[in-house]
Amino acid sequence: MFFVKTLEHRIDLHPSFFSASAPDFIKEKLYQDVEGTNTGTFMIIAVLQIDDISEPKIAPGTGFAQYNVGYRAMVWRPFRGEVVDGKVTNVVNNGFFADVGGLAVFVSKTMLPPSMKHNAEGSTPSWSEADGMIIERDSQVRLRIKGIRGELGQMYAIGSIREDYLGALLQ
Amino acid sequence: MASWLDQDFPDEEEDDFNPQAEVASDDEADEKPQLNGDAEDEDDDVAPQRSRSRSRQVNDEVKDEDEDKDDDVDLTGGDDDQPVEVDGDDHPAVGDEDDEEVADQDDEEDEEEEEDEDDDLPGRPAKKRRKNRRNQFIDVEAEVDEDDEEEPEEEDDLPGDEMHPDDLQELPADADRDDRKHRELDRQREAKEQETAEEQAQRFVERYGRKERAGAATGAVVPQRLLLPGPEDPHIFRLKCRPGKERDVIQGISLRMAERQYSREPILINSAFERGGVMAGNLYVEARRQEDVVAAVEGLTHVFSSYKPLMIPIEEMPDLLKIKKSSLLEPGMYVRVRKTGWYQGDLAQVEDVESNGVDVTLRLIPRLTYGLTEDTNAPAVLDQNGKRKRTKTTQPRPPAKHFSETEAKKKLGRYLSRAQGLGNNAFTFENEDYVDGFLIKNFRINQLQRDNVNPTLEEVTKFASGGEDGTENLDLNALAATIKQTKAEDYLPGDKVEIFRGEQKGVTGKSVEVYGDVVKMRVDSAGALRGQVIEAPIKDLRKLFREGDHVKVIGGSKYVDEVGMVVKSKDDRVTLLTDSNNQEITVFSKDLREATDAGGNVAGSKFDLFDLVQLDVSTVGCVIKVDRESLRVLDQNGSIRSMLPSAISNKLERRRNAVATDSNGNEMKIDDTIKEFGGEQRQGRVLHLHRNFVFVQNRERVENAGVWVARHMNVTTLNAKGGRPGGQNGVDLTRMNPAMKQNGVPGVMAPPQGRGRDRLIGKTVKLRSGNQKGMIGIVKDATDQTVKVELHAKNKVISINRDHLQVIDPRSGQPIDDRGRPGGGMPGRTPAPGAYGRTPFGGPGAEGRTPAYAMAGGGRTPTWKQDVGSRTPGYGGATAYGGGGFGGTTAYGGQTSYGGGTSYGGATTYGGGGGGGGSVWGGNQSTWNPNPSSRTPAHNPGNKTPAYSGGLEAPTPGFSAPTPGDQPTPGGFRGQYQTPAAYQTPGGFPETPGAGFDDDGPRYD
Repeated sequence: MFFVKTLEHRIDLHPSFFSASAPDFIKEKLYQDVEGTNTGTFMIIAVLQIDDISEPKIAPGTGFAQYNVGYRAMVWRPFRGEVVDGKVTNVVNNGFFADVGGLAVFVSKTMLPPSMKHNAEGSTPSWSEADGMIIERDSQVRLRIKGIRGELGQMYAIGSIREDYLGALLQ
Repeated sequence: MASWLDQDFPDEEEDDFNPQAEVASDDEADEKPQLNGDAEDEDDDVAPQRSRSRSRQVNDEVKDEDEDKDDDVDLTGGDDDQPVEVDGDDHPAVGDEDDEEVADQDDEEDEEEEEDEDDDLPGRPAKKRRKNRRNQFIDVEAEVDEDDEEEPEEEDDLPGDEMHPDDLQELPADADRDDRKHRELDRQREAKEQETAEEQAQRFVERYGRKERAGAATGAVVPQRLLLPGPEDPHIFRLKCRPGKERDVIQGISLRMAERQYSREPILINSAFERGGVMAGNLYVEARRQEDVVAAVEGLTHVFSSYKPLMIPIEEMPDLLKIKKSSLLEPGMYVRVRKTGWYQGDLAQVEDVESNGVDVTLRLIPRLTYGLTEDTNAPAVLDQNGKRKRTKTTQPRPPAKHFSETEAKKKLGRYLSRAQGLGNNAFTFENEDYVDGFLIKNFRINQLQRDNVNPTLEEVTKFASGGEDGTENLDLNALAATIKQTKAEDYLPGDKVEIFRGEQKGVTGKSVEVYGDVVKMRVDSAGALRGQVIEAPIKDLRKLFREGDHVKVIGGSKYVDEVGMVVKSKDDRVTLLTDSNNQEITVFSKDLREATDAGGNVAGSKFDLFDLVQLDVSTVGCVIKVDRESLRVLDQNGSIRSMLPSAISNKLERRRNAVATDSNGNEMKIDDTIKEFGGEQRQGRVLHLHRNFVFVQNRERVENAGVWVARHMNVTTLNAKGGRPGGQNGVDLTRMNPAMKQNGVPGVMAPPQGRGRDRLIGKTVKLRSGNQKGMIGIVKDATDQTVKVELHAKNKVISINRDHLQVIDPRSGQPIDDRGRPGGGMPGRTPAPGAYGRTPFGGPGAEGRTPAYAMAGGGRTPTWKQDVGSRTPGYGGATAYGGGGFGGTTAYGGQTSYGGGTSYGGATTYGGGGGGGGSVWGGNQSTWNPNPSSRTPAHNPGNKTPAYSGGLEAPTPGFSAPTPGDQPTPGGFRGQYQTPAAYQTPGGFPETPGAGFDDDGPRYD
């Protein structure tokens, strides 16, 4: 789910940047630092607005200036039970991996409909069932997130398509 | 068996033995004294003749079959023990559960006997009871018909008036129409109706009241001691026999009883049994008198007649009949072989359990010598029967190894045959079956140890060498089955639990408190109990996990300490996907706990997942699996090794700043995302860089925990971590600062290092301080701090701090600018802040270029061999320096000096241009080579160069004043620096620019 969240980020600026253009550097660096990162619970999609840039403080001993930047960002946080769309990145014999934005979701064999079978033959490994649903690399799938595990900077989830209206999307 | 007892004992005793005699005296029975036909069903025979010890308690009560059975159940079910051997009367020879077949035979025999005897003894109450036993639930009227049919001779009645006309018509003409029974029944009814209420009540009490008591006796509350034997019951005597032959003896007794039962001396024992196992060699006979026992076993083989039958104290008798409830063996469980011999203590897997519950087929790792230790040429030892005697040699027990066909063929090939139809991996070797390398062998259940098996990982892995699909599947089906009991320790407050059996089945909740074997839980499932705290016994509980829960394996399986997410939860089996390597494992829910942390490494191993380890001198590997006792390592060649932690020499620390180049020559660091160039085009994140190898991890790959290895030249950086300009994309913010930009010239260049001979050596110096202040000497040796100076005045070498020296001109005694020794003196410094030091390269201006440039401009002056060029005041370049106002240029004057006369003109120039104090050299030069027009002395073989002539008293400037040009100047512009190479020529000076290049200062080649 997407949220707009107020966040804060600290930027250390090298003394060589101390100039009139320092604020630009700060902004530039903020975008570089935070956009697309993952905190372990949510992912920062974009910085919407920079609310304030604090007065810098020189860190003793280094000469770096520390700025606290408050900003509002659009974040995406997956929830357990949420139904999301993703793109299959890899098909293995015990399930498949899908990317949901920046979240890697694994759908285990036990969470596929029982009718789906794994085919390793052919050019690409795939999961398929009789009525034609095929899941292979680059398929779009709709899945339900069953569990999320966050580590610093990374999130992993497991998902399920063993439910009505879930599975490969028609393209 | 009861029959022969009945036969011999007087009536009053018979009541003792035959509780059913009392049944016969039931009022109903009284009403129906007639004898019926023989009992048809087996139950009739068996049931009334239970152990007399029991019958004692109940023999005065109205009992019928059901209760009798209940009693049994009670006795057996009261505690967990099942006294299998209790049925003394019916099973005289039941000794052990092992003996069932024998017992069955005996059963049949006995039944026959009994029936026969019953026929022989008409009118015995047993007979009556047999029929009447079921009277309670059978309508009396129904018996009328039965009687009619069975005892037609008694029928003298005609069909009664009450008979339905249709029925009458259906009767054959000559049918008995006796309605005596009917009339009798009517009379009874009449009589009953006439009974007073009290009488009726009394009668009911009589009839059913006892039943209730008896029924109550079947409840769990009835003290079992009521059923225990008393002093009036038969006693149990212990006999000794040859261990292992107990059953033979019992069979013998049973035969003897059958033989003698009609003789005048029947065997008067009630039962005989043995306990086997720990009680081997003991035989128990139940009888009233010791003499009966002796008669029963007299003359039987294997019985030690020297032992007098020993009466077992009454209080010990129940213990004798108690058996431990045997834990159920299931195929796949692990047991240990208790039997002595080669397999003693070996772990075995249950392959099959025979339906008799006694024989078990086990799968063992065979211990075979394959006849290799046997001496086949040894003379056969024959025993008395002329058969080859089996010599039991005390061989060491062979190691447990999987069966090897080749080994077996070697020496004992004739005993080896391939089993048909069992796949091609089944053999018969020396009368034993081997399948897939395992020995398949039958064992008695009592030869096995079922508790405290505690299989070790090592043992189990031998059995787990692959399931049908090639995967290891041992964990659940086998290992856990051995240790499936839940313990109170498995539960902690806060665990989600589910009651999976009993009344409250399906109730879920969170445990609040755990004590003893009880868990208090707060119910959170919907229903009436919601929100309440209830107690549940642990055996009815299991832990509950939902899909997606993050759990950790806490014990009980080889996956201990794995952390993962639940993907499937069925009953008490939970499948989870491990965080570490995306492997799906299935464990029991009791071994799981909700994980709070992201997971830890396996305790006890000093290696973590993804560590880089040194396998041997030239091989490294990345840990891809950490087990408790072993590691799996992907080595640099891409092969997987399983090894013990002890086999790994050391762990290589992750070098955060390691850099390698990729196939495009771009830099690649740890945590960069890279892609394989060619091949499978695998992607991943750099884990380690080691020499030529890149260890990469990709979480989407399942094999090897997603780790793969490649050569650094075979991968391409896709994007670098943190926006570092890797490859083509990304801009380094630090580079955006123009102030930090460096235009081609390295901004910070390490100072040139002085190397080789210290330039102070050989100089004439004056001491500036200390006791010898003012004295003059020659430097003999020098280190960074101190120099050794040989004093002129005294013949003495003193050591002195080099700061306390002043270099002087040996002739004039004038102090010389000490800065003429840039590298030698202070190697760590840049060529000093002095103007000249900077000169060659510090100045951004054109003239600030190194002399080399200048020389380039100046036309390669010092190439002395060129006549023309050499004449030019090549040091016009030098002049330029002077123009630059750098006093330091003087140094070049130094060069000039040995360069030869050419430059003298230049030297003069110094005088003018240099202006600064540095001109000393210039001065000197002038003195040495006053003739400006002379050609390069160095190159004039006929001409002694002043440098040489300078010799002792006048050290050549080359010696004494190494120019900065020597070293720092070249700066690395090797191409243009050809000229200075010529320096070597004249001087043979120790410090040539070439030497300067050899040092490990920064350079650009």
